[in-house]
Amino acid sequence: MKTKAPHLDSDTVGELDEVIRKRLLIDGDGAGDDRRINLLVKSFIKWCNSGSQEEGYSQYQRMLSTLSQCEFSMGKTLLVYDMNLREMENYEKIYKEIECSIAGAHEKIAECKKQILQAKRIRKNRQEYDALAKVIQHHPDRHETLKELEALGKELEHLSHIKESVEDKLELRRKQFHVLLSTIHELQQTLENDDKLSEVDETQESAMEADPKP
Amino acid sequence: MDHAAPSPVPLGQAEVSQALQRLHMTIFSQSVSPCGKFLAAGNNYGRIAIFSLSAALSSEAKEESKKPMVTFHAHDGPVYSMVSTDRHLLSAGDGEVKGWLWAEILKKGCKELWRRQPPYRTSLEVPEINALLLVPKENSLILAGGDCQLHTMDLETGTFTRALRGHTDYIHCLALRDRSPEVLSGGEDGAVRLWDLRIAKEVQTIEVYKHEECSRPHNGRWIGCLATDSDWMVCGGGPALTLWHLRSSTPTTVFPIRAPQKHVTFYQDLILSAGQGCCVNHWQLSGELKAQVPGSSPGLLSLSLNQQPAAPECKVLTASGNSCRVDVFTNLGYRAFSMSF
Repeated sequence: MKTKAPHLDSDTVGELDEVIRKRLLIDGDGAGDDRRINLLVKSFIKWCNSGSQEEGYSQYQRMLSTLSQCEFSMGKTLLVYDMNLREMENYEKIYKEIECSIAGAHEKIAECKKQILQAKRIRKNRQEYDALAKVIQHHPDRHETLKELEALGKELEHLSHIKESVEDKLELRRKQFHVLLSTIHELQQTLENDDKLSEVDETQESAMEADPKP
Repeated sequence: MDHAAPSPVPLGQAEVSQALQRLHMTIFSQSVSPCGKFLAAGNNYGRIAIFSLSAALSSEAKEESKKPMVTFHAHDGPVYSMVSTDRHLLSAGDGEVKGWLWAEILKKGCKELWRRQPPYRTSLEVPEINALLLVPKENSLILAGGDCQLHTMDLETGTFTRALRGHTDYIHCLALRDRSPEVLSGGEDGAVRLWDLRIAKEVQTIEVYKHEECSRPHNGRWIGCLATDSDWMVCGGGPALTLWHLRSSTPTTVFPIRAPQKHVTFYQDLILSAGQGCCVNHWQLSGELKAQVPGSSPGLLSLSLNQQPAAPECKVLTASGNSCRVDVFTNLGYRAFSMSF
C-alpha cells in the first residue's frame, strides 16, 4: 500500500533515491513483505476494533497466518544469507587453489623450458655426431686396411726371404768358382814351374857334359 | 573550400628526395645495446638509427614506437659493421672506426667519443672496414676489410697491436672461436683462414672452393658469411652454405639452397641463415630445412639475435637488408612486425 507521494523538491530527491534504493534492495524477495507488515498492523487495529467474537476470531486467525508467513519469509532470507556466506567461503577456497595451481603450472613451464633446452643440446650433439659419422663412413674400414697391410707385410717378408736365399746361393757358387779358378791357376803355375825346372835341369846337364872332359 | 573531397597536396622537393632515399636504402648492420632494450641499425647513407625494442614490443605499441628514437649521422660512407661493448657502440664503414657511448646516444646527444684509423699500407686509398669483432678476453677489437689484413686494436689504449696478413683479397666476415683465442676470417679469395691470436700467425687455411661438394663456380668463390661453434664452422657465399668440422677440415653437410647467403649464425640447435631470398632459413645440423620465414626486404644482409640477459622480454631476432625496414621476429617462426627508418 503506497502512502501519498511526497513533495519532490531538490533536497528530498537525493534522500528519496536512497530510500527507494534501500527499499528495492531489502525487498529482494519481491511481492511485498513490507506490504504484509503494513497489512498486519492495519488488521491488528481492525481486530482491536472488531465487534463480534467470530469476526474477531477469524481476524485473529488471519493475523496469525500473516505473522507465520512473515516468519517463514524471514527464515528463508536468513537461510539464503547463510548460503551466500558459505558460497563466498567456497569461492575463496577455489580461488586460492587456482592460484596455487597457476604457480605450479608456471614452475612446470620453467622446468619444461629447461628440459627443452637440454633436449635441443642433445639433438645438436647427435646431429654433429651423425655428420662426422657420415664423413668417416666414406673412408674404408680400419680393420680391413690393417688386414691388407698385414697380408702385404707377410708377402714382403716372404719375398725378402727368397731374395736372401737366392743371394746366399749366388755367394756360394761364386766362392766355389773362385776356389776352382784359383786351384786351376795354381796347377798351371805348378806345371809351368815344373816345365821351367825341367828346362833348367836340361841346360845344366848339357853344361856339365861339356865341362868334365879335360 | 570543398569539404567533401580533400585537395591533393603537392609534394615538395624535400619529400620526394626523402622518399627516394628510403626507397634506395640498405641497412648493412645492426647491434643491440648492452641493456638489451635498444637496437642500432646502420645504413648505406652513413646514418645510424636507434630503435626502442621495449617500446615496440610492449602491448601498447603504436606506429611511432616502430620509428627510430633518434637517428644521427655517423660516417661519410655506409656503416658496414657495428658491435657493442658493455658501454660503447663501435661502428665502422669508410676506413675509420668510431666509438659512441650508449648512454649518450640514448639521451640523444650523438657526439662521437673517439675515432681511429688502422695503419694502412698505402695512404692514397682508404679501404673500407667490412667486419668488426670483439675479443673480450683481451679487450680488443679486430677490424678487417678492404686492405686484406686483420688489424687488432686494444680498446683501452686505442693502439693497433697486430696486423695479420694472409688474405689475397678483401675480407668479408670474421668469427671468434671461444675456447682457443682463434679468429676465423673469410674473404673474397675464397679461403677461410684461422689465426691464432697468441702467436699472431695463420694456423689453418680452408680453401672452400677447392672442395667439390660445395663449390659453385658460377657464383664465384667469395665467402660472404661465417659462423663458428668451437669445433664446427658454417660458411657460405659463392660456394654453397656448408658445415665444416674444423679439426679435420672436412665439409660434413651441404645445405641445399641456391641463393648465396650473406649472414649465418648458430642458435641453440639450429643454424639461421639469410641471404639473397627474402626469407630467414632455419636449418638443422643434418642439412634439413626446418623453416623458411619470409621477411619484408627483397634481400637480407644482417641478422641479430638479442640474447642480452638483462632484457629477456626483448629476446627477438631482427633482420635487415635491402630496404629501409628492420623485421622483428618475436617467436622465430613468423615475422611479428617491421620497424622502419
